[in-house]
Amino acid sequence: MNAPASFSLGTIPTTVSTGRRKLVNVRQRSLLVAKMRTLWILAVFVLVTVCALGRITYLGFTGVTPRHGELGDLLVPDRGEIVDRNGVPLARDFRVYSLWFNPKAMTEGSALIQSPEEVAGRLVRIFPDLDRDELIGKLRSGKPGYLRKSILPEDANKVHALGEPALEFPLEATRFYPQGSMAAHVLGYVDSYGHGKVGMEQAFNDRLISPEGRAAPSVLSIDFRVQSALEDELSTAITLSKAKGAAGVILDVDTGEILALASLPSFDPNHVKPTDMVISAEEARQGDVPHGFNRVTNQVYELGSTFKPITVASAIDAGVVSDLGKQWPATPLHVGRFTIHDLHNYGASLNVPETLIHSSNTVTARIADELGGVRLKQTMEALAMNQRPYVELPAKGFPIWPSGEWPRLRTMTVAYGHGIAVTPLHLASAYAALVNGGIWRPATLKKLGASEVPEGRRVFKASTSARIRQLLRMIVQYGTGRKADAPGFRVGGKTGSAEKPGVGGYRHHSLIATFAAAFPMDKPRYVVIAMMDEPQGTAATSFQRTAAWNAAPVIQRVVPRIGPLLGVMPDETRDIDISDLKPLVPQGSDGE
Amino acid sequence: MNFTSDRVRSIGWISVLVVCGAMTLGLTLRVNAVKSQVHDTEKRIVWVKQDIDFLETEFQTRSNQQALRQLNDLEFGYKAPMAGQYIEGERQLAALGAVAGPGAPQPIRYANAEKPEGDESSLLAMVSPVTGATAAALPEGDEKHGDKAAPKGRDPEREAIARDAAAIGKRLARIEVAEAAQQ
Repeated sequence: MNAPASFSLGTIPTTVSTGRRKLVNVRQRSLLVAKMRTLWILAVFVLVTVCALGRITYLGFTGVTPRHGELGDLLVPDRGEIVDRNGVPLARDFRVYSLWFNPKAMTEGSALIQSPEEVAGRLVRIFPDLDRDELIGKLRSGKPGYLRKSILPEDANKVHALGEPALEFPLEATRFYPQGSMAAHVLGYVDSYGHGKVGMEQAFNDRLISPEGRAAPSVLSIDFRVQSALEDELSTAITLSKAKGAAGVILDVDTGEILALASLPSFDPNHVKPTDMVISAEEARQGDVPHGFNRVTNQVYELGSTFKPITVASAIDAGVVSDLGKQWPATPLHVGRFTIHDLHNYGASLNVPETLIHSSNTVTARIADELGGVRLKQTMEALAMNQRPYVELPAKGFPIWPSGEWPRLRTMTVAYGHGIAVTPLHLASAYAALVNGGIWRPATLKKLGASEVPEGRRVFKASTSARIRQLLRMIVQYGTGRKADAPGFRVGGKTGSAEKPGVGGYRHHSLIATFAAAFPMDKPRYVVIAMMDEPQGTAATSFQRTAAWNAAPVIQRVVPRIGPLLGVMPDETRDIDISDLKPLVPQGSDGE
Repeated sequence: MNFTSDRVRSIGWISVLVVCGAMTLGLTLRVNAVKSQVHDTEKRIVWVKQDIDFLETEFQTRSNQQALRQLNDLEFGYKAPMAGQYIEGERQLAALGAVAGPGAPQPIRYANAEKPEGDESSLLAMVSPVTGATAAALPEGDEKHGDKAAPKGRDPEREAIARDAAAIGKRLARIEVAEAAQQ
């Protein structure tokens, strides 16, 4: 460097010592730089090693982070699945081909290679249900649009073979219901804009399109096997009795979960027609309702004699009826200009078990009179008869509920199910409270875990509920409900046949026939309601229109089908103990 | 060139860096290749899952409750079992095997076909192409083709049928091979 120059200039010792010092300095600086560089490299290596170790430790503790990438999204449906309580899909997204006309597919010349008539003719050969003239109109219009929705893959291949680039078949996600029309009123449907309508599709709409709802299915309380059995038997009953319609519900008495809910005639949510949801004014005048109308939760009916056990329970609870063997007059009852009478003459007097077995209006009215309107109204309010039914469905009918103070006649008519109109679901919840020890719980269509069961509210004493269980069983063993008795299943219940109101009073030949049942009565687990709308007396029902001949046989056929599925095995050696009430009734009574 | 030890060391370091860099590059390429394979496999898994969903939906639709009911109405006519058809527990089940008391009616016996002991071959259930007789229809004591040396418990006649069937099979195979050779 500069050292040789300094030698030639001045005093040697000084120069040498200066040069040495400089050299020492240079060497020290070089060493320092080298050390610093080594330290830097070491620091980088340490940093990298620490990062690597940190990452390894993190992965060791947390595992590999799942990727929520594009591929994962492909498996998540656009709209969440709806499954039954056992995980069987009831509604799911499904990709189907559609036939789409895209006139801009051909960049030059006309949209089609062949003439519109020729293309329309060939399409009609593939899809015979298409209208040829309508097709020609669409192809000539030059506007893009659907020619047909939901086509089979083999038909898509046939369309492809026509060699028309303007005929496209995009794969589109649609809502599909594998069980067809089963549980249609529970599920509802999805309209062309992707909005849920009518059933749980509407009630759960926000949840079904949320990220959580799409990732995990929404579980209903419905059991699709039980639903199928109920619909099947109601449908058979409609055929046999030529009824206008039918409704049924099966409810878990301890949780309020709905196991099945059927309203017939039904509709197919895969192919909803405009007439399923709207009917003409003329049809409405004749008392018809659209197929999409839910008779279980939306339609209110006077459910007749099925209310009698509620009145009796209220009277037992209040201490008005303490001796079930007490004889009550059974003669026609005159209240003002109105006369309450029974269907048949059952003699001068009846005790309480006989009243229910024969379904006596006069004695029930007298019991209600003694109970008083205030207490009967309180019971009905505690059973939520003055509110819309508790269920998630959007279609909920408001009861025809006499407000204010009930006069004497109103109290008497409500006691046997007239002058008050509720939905069959109200009745199911009330019967659950009657037999489960006296606790009313709201009905639900969501599957409940053990910790999610609502506490409910006490309506009847447990002792009253035990009495009512005995009485309901006696009605099926000896009374009007004998046709509902399924051997071994210990069914109890009550018939109810109410005339439908019309213009100018009640229509004597238009009945609502209802049977409200519970089983097994030694430890009730499920309530089953079957309701027939205007059954016509046919040979199959011995020309009878009443519930005993139309609704009760439905229970007799449904219970053996659903009991074993729900864990209730038939046992003819077991039954509820009615030995203390048996002496109060003569064996084998007849009539309703 | 004058290679000092520092220069050699520097070249050594550079070489090591180049080698490490090359190895890192190679490893990165390899990792990316594996990642690409994993991505392809994931795509295939998604397709297969979509196919499974499609097939599940098809099966559920074809076997929906309404279809099963129609099938039952037309073909089987099954009904829900009655209370008497259920067994309460093990005690009741054991009672079914109890010895009949004196004077009790004979239990109804049902016919059934039993498989030959020790031989699970389905060939024996077939009709013999030579004699036209079924294996099950042959009398037990027939000693026509009896083989005295046959092991105890095995039916020589059934074995003969099996041999015949095998021979026919071989002959047919030979004919097919000959025809194939001509073609």
